[in-house]
Amino acid sequence: MKELWNIYKKGIFVENPIFVLALSLCPALAVTATAANALTMGLSVLFVITANNCSVSLTRKVVNPKVRVPVYITSIATIVTLVQLLLQAYFPLLYKELGIYLALVVVFAIILARAEVFAAKNPIIPSFFDGLGMGSGFTIAMLSIGIVRELLGMGSIFGVQILGAWYNPALIMILPAGGFILIGYMVAGCKMILDNMAKRQAERGEA
Amino acid sequence: MSAEHTEKKYSIFQIAMNLTAACFVSGAIIAGTYFVTHPIAEKKAAILKQDAMKALVKDADNFKEISGKTEWFEAQKGGETIAYVVPSESKGFGGAIKMLVAVSKEGKVVGYDIIAHNETPGLGDNANKEPFKGQVIGKEAEKLEVTKDPSKTDNIQAMTGATISSRAVVKGIKEAVEQVVEFAGGK
Repeated sequence: MKELWNIYKKGIFVENPIFVLALSLCPALAVTATAANALTMGLSVLFVITANNCSVSLTRKVVNPKVRVPVYITSIATIVTLVQLLLQAYFPLLYKELGIYLALVVVFAIILARAEVFAAKNPIIPSFFDGLGMGSGFTIAMLSIGIVRELLGMGSIFGVQILGAWYNPALIMILPAGGFILIGYMVAGCKMILDNMAKRQAERGEA
Repeated sequence: MSAEHTEKKYSIFQIAMNLTAACFVSGAIIAGTYFVTHPIAEKKAAILKQDAMKALVKDADNFKEISGKTEWFEAQKGGETIAYVVPSESKGFGGAIKMLVAVSKEGKVVGYDIIAHNETPGLGDNANKEPFKGQVIGKEAEKLEVTKDPSKTDNIQAMTGATISSRAVVKGIKEAVEQVVEFAGGK
């Protein structure tokens, strides 16, 4: 049980997909201009990465290693297409909202990376938790970027005006350039905290 | 990668069959789901379309497809045509912007809705919101011009930081109005 928790936990902070592994920076720039967009994208990835990890883990013994990458991509594409079809039929409004973002999930580096690095070598239960953890870390990262960008760029969070009329929105934060600058600072912040943690652990180990 | 594959040698045919099988399974799953969900999705889309048109022309009680024109609808109230709902498309900052424009018989914009777009969130996508929307509604084709000069109150003020999106949306609406005027006038 403890092991599964550790697998889950590492995706959230120590191996956070965006801030530490620096994978899937493209959606982190493109879809985080508002908090709501960032959250929906994060949750879609959370679902797809978990489902894909399970399917890759289940089929890992029958897939020939020479064609594993195309097979993983096929698996991801199948899951995304299923989600699209189901949303279209049962939640058309949500489908309209997610639009092209959903199709983009297919090519996210983080999903393929987890399939290759983790799910292809581990049984289904750890793979499930790895997907869940990585997805949660991704969602948290997307959401935190989204909240800061929306607050600075529009003075609102989730569309609710927080800062008053006195605030002159910083346009750059909504544009990709502002997103890049912000992600840079966040990566630096994460690195600082992780270094600190490692230092303290080393000290404790020596004492 | 599992250990058992690294030991054995596989012929190219077996490897190809492996991938083929994976694609076949995936295709079968998608086809099965599509078969189940497609009729539901079509029904839902039709309802949504009716709702979208109703939101544009609030007085109308019926929408009739105009024969000879694709996707053109007449908004009727008590059997009489009060407006036309037509699709329009123009090129924006991030690709095509698809819209549904409602035009009155007199050639004024009754309303519009952007169905699909790829504009900058927080800037260009404000074209579907107030106050930009309010400026467009009620205008005729001649007045549908985007300006950055605040003194030209007759025209449409561009959205801050999204001049290209503003121009594209207004151009699409203008074309729709002109088409309707031509269609209704020639009747």
